[in-house]
Amino acid sequence: MAYPSIAIPGQPLGLSSQYASGPGTHVQNAHICASILGPVVEYAQDTKASSGKTRDSPPPVLSVQRSAQLVSNDAALTNVLPEVDAVVLARVTRINPRQATVAILVVGETVCSDEFQGLIRVQDVRATEKDKVKIFSSFRPGDIVRAQVISLGDQSNYYLSTAGNHLGVVMATSDGGNTMYPISWKEFKDPVTGVTESRKVAKPF
Amino acid sequence: MSMNRKNLDSEDTKWELQEFVSGWYEIPAAMTDRRRINGPPGGSSPVIFASSLGIGGRSVKRPSRIRPPDELRKIFLKTGLTPLASGSAYLELSPSANTGETCDSLAPSSSALKLTCAVHGPRPLPRSAPFTPQIQLSTHIKFASFAARQRRGYIRDASERDLAVHLETALRGVIIGNRWPKSSVEVVITVLEGEEDRWWGDETGGGTTGGSAGGWGMMNVLAGCITVASAAIADAGIDCLDLVSGGVAAIVKTPQSQHEAPDRDTDMGEIGKNGRLQLVIDPAPSEHQEIYAACVVGYLSTRDEITELWLKGNIPGTTSFSTPMQMAEVGGLLDKAVEAAVAVRLVLGEAVREAAELKAGQNRNNKE
Repeated sequence: MAYPSIAIPGQPLGLSSQYASGPGTHVQNAHICASILGPVVEYAQDTKASSGKTRDSPPPVLSVQRSAQLVSNDAALTNVLPEVDAVVLARVTRINPRQATVAILVVGETVCSDEFQGLIRVQDVRATEKDKVKIFSSFRPGDIVRAQVISLGDQSNYYLSTAGNHLGVVMATSDGGNTMYPISWKEFKDPVTGVTESRKVAKPF
Repeated sequence: MSMNRKNLDSEDTKWELQEFVSGWYEIPAAMTDRRRINGPPGGSSPVIFASSLGIGGRSVKRPSRIRPPDELRKIFLKTGLTPLASGSAYLELSPSANTGETCDSLAPSSSALKLTCAVHGPRPLPRSAPFTPQIQLSTHIKFASFAARQRRGYIRDASERDLAVHLETALRGVIIGNRWPKSSVEVVITVLEGEEDRWWGDETGGGTTGGSAGGWGMMNVLAGCITVASAAIADAGIDCLDLVSGGVAAIVKTPQSQHEAPDRDTDMGEIGKNGRLQLVIDPAPSEHQEIYAACVVGYLSTRDEITELWLKGNIPGTTSFSTPMQMAEVGGLLDKAVEAAVAVRLVLGEAVREAAELKAGQNRNNKE
């Protein structure tokens, strides 16, 4: 192992001919250099991505892990940004016939230290029969939604999509204030009153 | 009467609103601070008795540099001291070692530098800001009102804003901005104790020379700010090309009596009857009778790049920048400032590595 266990910004970690540059690093003069402070990790590249190439084994990836800021014993905040294709958890803040505005709370597996504002447009709610989608029967304010980032969007909003079986509302409360459970791909049911409400439901794992 | 009062109230609320709206922007210097009870504008400084200035027969000894010309003052640097900020650091330069003689005055002979830096962000841009593919950096430097002998106000003045612009230039060259689209980061530095521009004896007319243009202390403050901000940014986990460190060098007048064996590196020739020009790194302004020129750099040592350069002063015996002699001297000054920055970088690197090791250890313990 040529590289140090903990890297400081600017420290050379290895030759770019032997390693690929991962998150937290940059390439300078054919050297992979750390760009953040933290422990160095090496892992094999995802072989699926480069299966078409003639090279039999892609070089391993060097990356520097972002060390989480410890807030208390079990909560850690990190600075993460929603990226395109990232799966996020968001709370619906307000809806109108064209779009639902959400606050992004979790990106991937990490809890954001700040909320990011996102937007689910009516045409991004589901993949099929897009013209029949009604925001009002897909989301309600307060719902927790699993969605995918499709674009960094404009100045204030990230654009999200819930087109996909595993995307959609994961937690919802009824008009009566009870937590509901999903009964189909488009319905949640209130266990107390027995009333069903329509939502774009995410397929439970 | 009641009418009058109402008017006053409405004006007050307007002012409050204005400040609320303009929270992100500078408050123009023309606006006076109406929210606090301020002391007299000139401030007050400790009383200096005539006897301590040598007027009554006893002479007061000005502090002098006892470090070698190429030695820095000791640096204390620690990251992660402000819990609410996403990254923070504290830097302190030890006051120069006392020459051992007892001082007649209570006023300290030399100043130290104490800086605290907090980095907030990266966080989402405010709603009104336009889209940016890069991180938006903003820097704020504020002297505490008690930071120097001259009392400072609560609103940032022109020199503080000028320092902040210098710092922003130094940091902009090192941050990899496109890793954080649509976000902003704020670097806030509070100067708890600032470097004095000259020895207090000179200020009150007790010194041998009046000292030429002031503002030398600012250069030390800027170098400290660059270093402490770099540590705080590393602590916040913002992508950087390198750790940028600040270094200062100056051309000063050293009395012939204190001058040690000639040194090819730092010696620059004679000046006047009993003085020599000398290149020193990390000059403490109070220790030097006269500073002719000084230079601050923000330097990336692993890439050998300079992100910020501030050169000021006039080297005696030369008139303009065009002469080759002057160019050589400027080059020497610049080299010395870079040398100082390289030395500071060693401390900076150790401090952030120590913090990272501590953090990694904590994370491991938490998982277990």
